[in-house]
Amino acid sequence: MVLEKVVEILRNYKDEQDLEVTMASTFEELELDSLDTVELVMEIEEAFDTSIEMDGELQTIGDVVTLIEKAIA
Amino acid sequence: MIKTPLCDLLNIEFPILQGGMAWISDAQLAAAVSNAGGLGIISSMNADENWLRNEIHKAKSLTDKPFGVNVMLMNPHVDKIAQVLIDEQVPVVTTGAGNPGKFMKLWIEAGIKVIPVVPSTGLARFSERAGATAVIAEGGESGGHVGEMSTMPLIPQVCDAVSIPVIAAGGIGDGRGIAAALMLGAVGVQLGTRFLVAHETNIHENYKDKIIKAKDIDTTLSGRSLGHPVRSLKTTFSKDFIKAENDPTTPPEVLEEYGRGALRIAAQEGDSLKGCFMAGQIAGMIKKKQSVKEIILTLAEETETVLKGGTQWVK
Repeated sequence: MVLEKVVEILRNYKDEQDLEVTMASTFEELELDSLDTVELVMEIEEAFDTSIEMDGELQTIGDVVTLIEKAIA
Repeated sequence: MIKTPLCDLLNIEFPILQGGMAWISDAQLAAAVSNAGGLGIISSMNADENWLRNEIHKAKSLTDKPFGVNVMLMNPHVDKIAQVLIDEQVPVVTTGAGNPGKFMKLWIEAGIKVIPVVPSTGLARFSERAGATAVIAEGGESGGHVGEMSTMPLIPQVCDAVSIPVIAAGGIGDGRGIAAALMLGAVGVQLGTRFLVAHETNIHENYKDKIIKAKDIDTTLSGRSLGHPVRSLKTTFSKDFIKAENDPTTPPEVLEEYGRGALRIAAQEGDSLKGCFMAGQIAGMIKKKQSVKEIILTLAEETETVLKGGTQWVK
């Protein structure tokens, strides 16, 4: 249920409750630039009380969800 | 005497860093700044590891004081550059154009102090968490690649967001600016444009003359459409570039190609038809060419005078 929580955080972040988000949604499609991505990933990390490596390029919401799932497993 | 915790942290006399400017900040400038009591910084721009190693050796031969290297994270040679910094035991690394996460652990383990340049509180917090020694919060008044935020609102918000030292950059050109930055909560400053006109700076004389002639309104932003806005002097090149950029029929790759080499041409050839003369908004305040030592001593004296004078308003 990581995805659901991530979607909720994302909707609050963008203040758009009807925002369509899937695992395949890219940050670009969601109109989030690299600074938004950093903010958002940190919010997500805080929500799950964990941290993920932001070494590689995070492209999609699925990338974040997968890393969070791995971190809390 | 201006002394802040940054001086002890970086082992420098004055809390003044010289920004890493591509094609401009070489070993000679960095060593001159370090010898004058600031922290000189070599820009590794898009160069390869051999170029950087030579510059580091040259700087070491010119100064026994600490100096730093700026790493442009989009550099295709960045992995090898990262290793050279470790091999050469460079004491301070500043980073720009990306997220240094990948190298932070390696550098920190090697005893290198890592100071990312950040344009927002989010990246500042992220940097702190990754182990950064300090951050340079840079406002969009600066020359070169810029963020959206201005220095005045950025610095106090970054200072509130992190507990590591904050260095202010963007729009600082004299002691008044340094004093203001310290009042906003920064413990040091990074200046780029002011050092462009230093005698020790290896750029074409035309570049220095353009800075001296510049007025407050003589810089402009280009490259917004490419996602990497750049502040530079208004020249034939920048005006043509902006015109092409605003024309919806210009493909992005043509724009990228148009800008290729423009920094080098400005710095080495001084050609305003093809060169991009990066400069910050304080260019209009710079009226004379000086040695690096004169610049740093003047900045320190001015800062002291301004800070002492501030109490006149407290009744």
